[in-house]
Amino acid sequence: MTSDRRARILERLYPTGEAKLEAARLGEVCAEVTGATGAGLMLMSGDAPRGSVATTDEVSTLIEDLQFSLGEGPCVDAYRFDRPILEPDLANPAVVRWVAFAGPAVAAGARAVFGFPLQVGAVRLGALNLYCDRPADLSVDQHADALVMAEVAAQALLIMQSHAPPDVLAIELERGSNFQHVVYQASGMVAAQLAVSVAQAMIRLRGHAFGHGRPLTEVAQDVVGRRLRFEDDPDANRQATQ
Amino acid sequence: MAAQDLLIRTLVELADSLVDDFDVVELLTLLTDRCVEALEVDDAGLMLAAPVGSDLRVMSSSSAAMFDLELYELQSSEGPCLDSYRSGEPVHNEDLHTTGERWPRFTPAAIAAGFQSVSAVPMRWRGTTIGALNLFRKGPGQLDDADLDAARAFADVATIAILQHKAALDARVVNEQLNQALNSRVILEQAKGMLAERANIDVDEAFDRLRAHARRHNLRLGAVAHDILAGTLTVDDIEPPAPFRGP
Repeated sequence: MTSDRRARILERLYPTGEAKLEAARLGEVCAEVTGATGAGLMLMSGDAPRGSVATTDEVSTLIEDLQFSLGEGPCVDAYRFDRPILEPDLANPAVVRWVAFAGPAVAAGARAVFGFPLQVGAVRLGALNLYCDRPADLSVDQHADALVMAEVAAQALLIMQSHAPPDVLAIELERGSNFQHVVYQASGMVAAQLAVSVAQAMIRLRGHAFGHGRPLTEVAQDVVGRRLRFEDDPDANRQATQ
Repeated sequence: MAAQDLLIRTLVELADSLVDDFDVVELLTLLTDRCVEALEVDDAGLMLAAPVGSDLRVMSSSSAAMFDLELYELQSSEGPCLDSYRSGEPVHNEDLHTTGERWPRFTPAAIAAGFQSVSAVPMRWRGTTIGALNLFRKGPGQLDDADLDAARAFADVATIAILQHKAALDARVVNEQLNQALNSRVILEQAKGMLAERANIDVDEAFDRLRAHARRHNLRLGAVAHDILAGTLTVDDIEPPAPFRGP
């Protein structure tokens, strides 16, 4: 019964009866409840990943980073299509869903990946990401747990944010999160370098990262550290000489 | 002893009604109605203190006639609901013929309404009690333990329903705020990068200058960031900080 699952989850989230909850703990409970190897909570808006508020280990951090950089993956699809996305064997799928995402994710140790929309009623704020280190289907029970967990997590995130002043992200969400600020800083710099909009600058950054097989965050760090400049000719991005 | 299948059906029904947009009063009315159908009680009422710490108010009752009754009104100052709400413990089968001293105003009113005994279970979630479920009996004899357990289960489900609903009500508004906070932050980071590049400074110093500009001109930081990106505010408009003067 849904209320039983909900009660079990709430009991794990608030074991001492204290109402205070850290986003990191929320991520851990997502993994515990569903029996996944690891979990992550991704906030999204306007179809794009905005940042990861909780990841339980290095692999789940990488899964979220990849999705942020590439704009594809289980969370992105779960949010976009508004339904659970299940990939029981990322290394051997019937159809390759995520061309750029799959390789590095498998190499890092993620074999099965799942995305569940984080939503409360009609309000969607992101996606819950679960992964297993071996090929795995979610059982009917795990699937039901994940659905209820995603809803409880969405509510918990909103409750955290509800205490924050307008225009400011709640401290509980900011702490331990990765909002990839350096990528946005770099897009501002590249926009100035190329005299283009920040949206276009972002495309150039992503293109450069993809073309050179480097993580977007690394490329952004190089831009902000002034080790990399973008120039007008898209093929002429040169490494700045130190 | 309550019919098992009716109990289970009620719990399923209550749980089902938790999904999507449900009406709290409707749910609580279902709950009090089912108490009368499934348990050996003649009337049931549910009282909530909302916001937490305020007076108990009746939210639903199995009998429409009872709804406005002073039986509930009175319980903002005394009675089984208030006792259960305050202690967080159930009130078991209190014989109304012996409660005159404990509840001097509630007791005669309850007897006048035709009741002989009364029970109440708290609506608790962890440390917090948000209200109580009140059960009235007209006949002799007592509510058995199985019925009391069932009443507690009903109260638990109702508690979760109410706590969840409170979050659902604000979800849209909070989500908009969340989106706005996320977007403001993105814009600020982009503006830091743009100013850093144009002024040939690092991003931390760019942030200091943006903030100083906002303060000096009494503007919101977000508005300043936006103007930088839009090109309506240039490097020259953003004064560098005053040069450091030694003592």
